Amino acid sequence: MAEHPEASQQEEQPGDPSPELFDPKTMRKSKPGFKRLFLTISVLLSFLSGVPFFLKSIEIYRSPIPFTEMDTLSNSIDSHPLIFSCRFHVVFVDFDSREVSVDKLAFSVLENMRKLSSSENVCGSCGNNYSVSVTIESGGDCKESGDVEAAKLWKCGRIKEGNLEEMLKDDERFDEYLNEVLGGDEEGSGKVYRVVVVSKDEEIRAVVGKNRHAWIVGRVSEVDEAVEMVAEVFVKFFVNGGTRNGSIHSEFMPVGADGRIVLSFNLLNADPRDWVYDWNFQEIDEILLAPIIRTLAPLANISTESQVLYHTPMSSFANWDKEKESYIFRTKDLPFFVNSNEWHLDTSIAAGGRSNILQFVVYVPSANECPLMLQLPNGEISMTNGFISPMWGGVVVWNPPRCARDSGGSHLRKKISPQDLEKVFEVFLGQLRQIFGLNSGSLYHDASTTFTLLSTGKGFTEWEMDFLSRQHTCYNLLQCGTTLGSLSRLVQSLPRMIIKDEIGKQVKFSLEAAKVARSNASYGISDASAVSSREARILAEDAFFHPSMMSVSYYSFEHCFAVYSPFFLPVSMHIILAVLREFRRYKQESAKHRAWRVIDSRNA
Amino acid sequence: MKSPLVLMLMLLLYTHIQPTQSSTTMHTNNWAVLVCTSRFWFNYRHMANTLSLYRTVKRLGIPDERIILMLADDMACNARNKYPAQVFNNENHMLNLYGDNVEVDYRGYEVTTENFFRVLMGRHESAVPRSKRLLSDEGSHILLYMTGHGGDEFLKFQDSEELQSHDLADAVKQMKEKRRFKELLIMVDTCQAATLFSQLQSPGVLAIGSSKKGENSYSHHLDSDVGVSVVDRFTYYTLAFFERLNIYANASLNSLFTSYNPNYLMSTAYYRTDLYQRKLEEVPVTNFFGSVMETIHTDSAYNVFPMKDSRANNIKILLEQSVDDLIRNVTSSDEKQQSAEPSTIPGKCPYTNVWNVINKRMEKIKDVDNIVNGGFALIFLTAVIFSWLTQ
Repeated sequence: MAEHPEASQQEEQPGDPSPELFDPKTMRKSKPGFKRLFLTISVLLSFLSGVPFFLKSIEIYRSPIPFTEMDTLSNSIDSHPLIFSCRFHVVFVDFDSREVSVDKLAFSVLENMRKLSSSENVCGSCGNNYSVSVTIESGGDCKESGDVEAAKLWKCGRIKEGNLEEMLKDDERFDEYLNEVLGGDEEGSGKVYRVVVVSKDEEIRAVVGKNRHAWIVGRVSEVDEAVEMVAEVFVKFFVNGGTRNGSIHSEFMPVGADGRIVLSFNLLNADPRDWVYDWNFQEIDEILLAPIIRTLAPLANISTESQVLYHTPMSSFANWDKEKESYIFRTKDLPFFVNSNEWHLDTSIAAGGRSNILQFVVYVPSANECPLMLQLPNGEISMTNGFISPMWGGVVVWNPPRCARDSGGSHLRKKISPQDLEKVFEVFLGQLRQIFGLNSGSLYHDASTTFTLLSTGKGFTEWEMDFLSRQHTCYNLLQCGTTLGSLSRLVQSLPRMIIKDEIGKQVKFSLEAAKVARSNASYGISDASAVSSREARILAEDAFFHPSMMSVSYYSFEHCFAVYSPFFLPVSMHIILAVLREFRRYKQESAKHRAWRVIDSRNA
Repeated sequence: MKSPLVLMLMLLLYTHIQPTQSSTTMHTNNWAVLVCTSRFWFNYRHMANTLSLYRTVKRLGIPDERIILMLADDMACNARNKYPAQVFNNENHMLNLYGDNVEVDYRGYEVTTENFFRVLMGRHESAVPRSKRLLSDEGSHILLYMTGHGGDEFLKFQDSEELQSHDLADAVKQMKEKRRFKELLIMVDTCQAATLFSQLQSPGVLAIGSSKKGENSYSHHLDSDVGVSVVDRFTYYTLAFFERLNIYANASLNSLFTSYNPNYLMSTAYYRTDLYQRKLEEVPVTNFFGSVMETIHTDSAYNVFPMKDSRANNIKILLEQSVDDLIRNVTSSDEKQQSAEPSTIPGKCPYTNVWNVINKRMEKIKDVDNIVNGGFALIFLTAVIFSWLTQ
């Protein structure tokens, strides 16, 4: 910038006190102007005023995520295992009510139950605080105790209306009778598990029904003995679901992360040159599978598929056994049975990315390994000829009748007979239950007693479904908690990663669903809590696995700097330098002016 | 944004809540992710490496559905390939690696660092098919094999991108957080391979690289017929080890790791075991390279049809049950429909009431077509009559 030449062209003015004292280099007569300073500062200010807008425009959009809530949820799920409230009711029929008091009976049932159940609080169990109520019916009398609400649901005296003797002969009929006539209205208030003890002069029998009833019939002379058996029924079946320790291991939780299971049924013809078998899958799907899928609806959204495959040999070896006149494969060959190279089972197009596919395979052996039997380690031949692999599915080996020796040409397509197909599907049903962690025998042998378990066309009895719902609620909430915890840690560790709105919404709904599930659990409504816990887990997994959260593409600070500095750095450097220079100049000029003023005032 | 105190608290909580799950979960299945990060003809040996390992892992039992194979796949049908559709890993040409049943999941330009991380972390778009996803669970053992050109703390992807060691460590950390594996074995066959896993911190990870920092990894031999080197030394000696094994064998990982001779490899095969809890002598190689299914015998079937002779009755019972359910569903939906119809509220606007009644009647009409036809006929008739009248 050109220097103002005013200092050098200062004219002699009349009245100037001492021209020789005036030094144009260090003094000036007039005040320095503001124009230049004002100009440069205004340019700088306009840049600075644009900075907030600029920062807003390059702001990383992060949808607000409730980190504290997510962490509290995962902590509380870990520290306070979920406990359901269960109610139990015992009915003693034809007992002498003068001998024992109802309250004492309730107390002793409770004591026995506490002895049988484990001391620690297993997640998804009924806890230790059981609520037990007892009713004694004898003659026309009816005494009640304990939790009066549960006892009130039992309509006193109605059991005598029907012909008890007749009905006790047929288990199924008695179960129906108990459920329809005597079950009462159970809507909305949670479910009650009931055992009816009938004293008769015959062998003791204990039967567990299809709904939530069980009965013990026989020479139950000692009340203590009856109480023990009742407590066993309550704890072993209604609380623990028929499993040994009342909790299901995580490898028996086949529901996929999006709450769906695909059941894929495959008929494998090992060598179609020997024989080709087909099946009528449609019919058995409608008759057998549809009710089961409806029953399992609170736990998972299930769909079915089926296919028939050819040229699918197994990859293990079988030896001819002369005694049993069949080819034998052993349990140690089972891990190598599934020949994944030739068995193209994974052809599902309907299954989503996070669903779980369970493969159910019917293996029809070829002529040179027919009949094929499975031998157990103790030497016996297996009744079912099948095995499962947890989380994968199950295999059943079906041998053609008489190895198709008598029938005609091998090029005819034969159909598996309906009876055989039914038997195979019953084994599949047993395998499905095994994959869910339940046993399938109709008799349960204990140290002292043998319990008969009734089976139902729906595949799972009500008390089994209650147990599964409780366990699945527990598992889903645990998974939801850990997933949300991981998500919160991930999002907080990457402050510059974009978080979309969708993720925030999914987290919010997941937290709400988890809350609903826990409140339902405290009321004892196990199927509603299973549904909402499944929702919570699905939403948490969707939020965590959202495809937009790829840390490779997040906007690091170095990247941001490298992109924007070529635009702003050179210009801002110039502007700031100009401001500084003008400021310095202004200071200098005003110092000069002050110096002149001093001299002027001294002289004047 | 958060105060440092809260951050400290959260850090404490984080370290507190980390559950030790690797001891309690069971080993359920094995997965293999095999990645070849090079393309172009002169990198023939990298693709041969990956395909050889693919073949080995399949032979030892891991099925295609549990193998993710990422290859640039431009060798077999390359214009410079003297043996079209054939890929060899030895100059004796005894084995055609591309022969039968090779299922490549990510090929060509799909092999990118982004896709690689999506596979590892499971964050795919919803349309990605199951065969391209790593569907492991918390009991899976994963074998991750990477080969190509690499350097200090990086691996070159398809000649245009880089995979950094801290990105890999981050991905493994997220996998562990989400419990996508029980144990992970990383094998890297590149130059300065050991630097790629130097930043790993997650427990349960075992890693072996073909060379240390500052060393190169060399190819094994040149096939003068094909014209390029066909296999790398590290992979060659790994395959030699596995050719001696079969599906029932139980050699340990320690024997594999100590079988590498630095003189033959011309580099030091460095492995890190500080993040891995088990002793290498006790871990069989089939824990990672083979596949053993856990099987349980089915003791009993579930008898839904108890009486065999009255099968027809049983089917009828079941059918009736299902029909009952259906009827119940239908009636409940009918009731819902009826209650959803607008009811005529007495006293309110009579016009609305009349209109509602008309609407209801109109909705109940089944034969709309006939009425419309009748309407047209009426119009036509009226037009004819009036035009005749006005004549």
